[in-house]
Amino acid sequence: MRLLVVEDDLPIQEFLERALSEAGYRVDVAANAARAEALALEGVHDAFILDLGLPDMDGLDLIARCRAHGNSAPVLILSARRSVDERVRGLEQGGDDYLTKPFALAELLARLRNLLRRAQPAQRESVSLHAGDLRLDLIRREARRGDEVLQLTPQEFSLLEYLCRNADRVVTRTMILDHVWRMRIDPATNVVDVHIYRLRSKVDREPSRPLIHTIRGVGYVLKSA
Amino acid sequence: MFSKAPKDSRSTAAWRIALWTTVAFALSAALAFYIVYLAASHELWARSDAWLSGEVEVLAEVSRSTPRDHLDDRMVEEVAELVTRELPDERNSKGLRLNSVFFLQTAPAHQPLWVGPEPKQAFFSAIEQADLSPRAPETVSVEGWKAPFRVVVHTGENGSRTFLGLSAHGAIHQLHRMIYRFLLVWLGMVLLGFVISYQSARRTLMRVEEITETAARIGSHDLSSRLPAPRSHDEISRLAETFNHMLDRIQASVDQLRTVTDGIAHDLKSPVTSIRGTLEVALSEQTEDGWRENVAEAIEGLDRLAQLLNTTLDLAEAEAGALRLEREPIDLSGLVRRLLDLYQPAMLERHHHLQADLEERVMVDADSTLLNRAVGNLLDNELAHLPEGCRILVEVSRNQAAAELVISDNGPGFPPEVSHQAFKRFVKGKQSAGHGLGLPLVEAVVQAHGGRVRISDQRGGARITVSLPAAVLEPA
Repeated sequence: MRLLVVEDDLPIQEFLERALSEAGYRVDVAANAARAEALALEGVHDAFILDLGLPDMDGLDLIARCRAHGNSAPVLILSARRSVDERVRGLEQGGDDYLTKPFALAELLARLRNLLRRAQPAQRESVSLHAGDLRLDLIRREARRGDEVLQLTPQEFSLLEYLCRNADRVVTRTMILDHVWRMRIDPATNVVDVHIYRLRSKVDREPSRPLIHTIRGVGYVLKSA
Repeated sequence: MFSKAPKDSRSTAAWRIALWTTVAFALSAALAFYIVYLAASHELWARSDAWLSGEVEVLAEVSRSTPRDHLDDRMVEEVAELVTRELPDERNSKGLRLNSVFFLQTAPAHQPLWVGPEPKQAFFSAIEQADLSPRAPETVSVEGWKAPFRVVVHTGENGSRTFLGLSAHGAIHQLHRMIYRFLLVWLGMVLLGFVISYQSARRTLMRVEEITETAARIGSHDLSSRLPAPRSHDEISRLAETFNHMLDRIQASVDQLRTVTDGIAHDLKSPVTSIRGTLEVALSEQTEDGWRENVAEAIEGLDRLAQLLNTTLDLAEAEAGALRLEREPIDLSGLVRRLLDLYQPAMLERHHHLQADLEERVMVDADSTLLNRAVGNLLDNELAHLPEGCRILVEVSRNQAAAELVISDNGPGFPPEVSHQAFKRFVKGKQSAGHGLGLPLVEAVVQAHGGRVRISDQRGGARITVSLPAAVLEPA
């Protein structure tokens, strides 16, 4: 997968390049819209990561020009602004996505994966999920650890499903709130941690083989092995 | 510094106002005088003409009824003398008689009879030249006399003609005296008017000048200066009042900005210091677990910092009225229920007893993200500030045109140091670990929706009431 990072802030550009390379992507960088447009015209990139505040052009105009040239690669927009422009929200409906700074790397990677997956031809939605000895039946909304059926509330099931879909990848609290509770809020208290704690007490009853791990400072991960 | 009072009083507005007022006043007064003058002179001429016409009739009558003998002339002369005496004996400063009267009677084959000042030849020629018709007094100029005479003629049956003339000198003199007095009074009025209007304009404009000076002082020094409380309630007083209100508002914003800046500086400094320290410790850690722990802690610190920045920016935007609301009809009860689902485990963890009393379908037109954050903030507040094992009651109800959310608890209530200003930024209880932006954001969001937030300490506990305008329900 090849990405084009358009970002004029050098420290962020370098950090993105390094982090995305480590995550296994090929990364090209551009510090301004002119260079970005030239690179985009090659048509070799699977997705763009674009900062809105470029020195020579508005990021949204750059997208419009790329689209006009027939380049339809999905765009992940980075915005320093907290309240997001309606035009950017419009893009979100068009299949692109946005993220406000500062962001967690885990969230950037998750959104990027999402974008790339959406750009692929639709896959058949699976009816069950596996991670280690955990099995989730998405139709009967039933979770089993080995042979034992876990007694979960609907909310706990949704949370576990989200962790399972992102098995072996770190998810942040913000991502959990966004996907499980469908809320873009940022609680000052440990409400999410308590949910994870309660879920863990049901899923990881044997402390010898825990599935849900805390990554301090970032979030949680469900490890399949 | 910003403005100087004009040195020359003639360049002031007061001068200009007084000048124009005076000019207008002088012109209208002059016009009024002129009209009075016209009326008076007309009356004066009419009266003297009436006298002339009357007297000439009398004289003609006397001469007709008197037999034509040698006494006749004497008789008429006597009467004419009497007539001239009827007029007051007015004389000017040089002793010249003002009311000169002459009488002349001519008849065929008779010597003309003359009673009047000499030399009579000048009168005779003047009368001959004038084309007089009976009973219509005319103005006739006589050589050697400055003022003309009003002359009337009466023609008798036997061809005799009786002339009676009255010098206009007296009338003209009266009119002149009137003009002279008018002029004196007019000048006095104009002068007095100018002084009064200049003074009053200056006194009014001095108050404007005072405002200007205060404004100039504020520009260069501090914001505490105020204009003296106005005594009356005129336009300038309202200007002063408005100016003072504006200063109050500016000072409030500046004070608030200062509080915010201080708050941000303080709130940024301590986490930055602790993050820096944590990272320094990480550098010197020997074990992987050791530095991992420290780096994670630093990231958590940075997250809190980012949260603080975001909330500050949101708040600034909300208070500047720049909050963009994406309104949609939302069931407030549903929104609160979902948030309670999220918060309930954390509440149970703290052994709180959470009770919800949510009326079905309480619709509001609101931005769901912002409303979620606001209600979330309130619940965060409950979690952060209540001691373990409290009762929390969350109610949503529709109250006529308002949707009401009430969160009450039986905790210790608001600390006395914050209860009266809980919605101000960076105001927080001594024990509070938060950044003091939670409630201000709640208030800003609710106000942006046209609602309001009230807090009250009830017996043993705090109570927060959020009222939002209820959405108009479409008829089912």
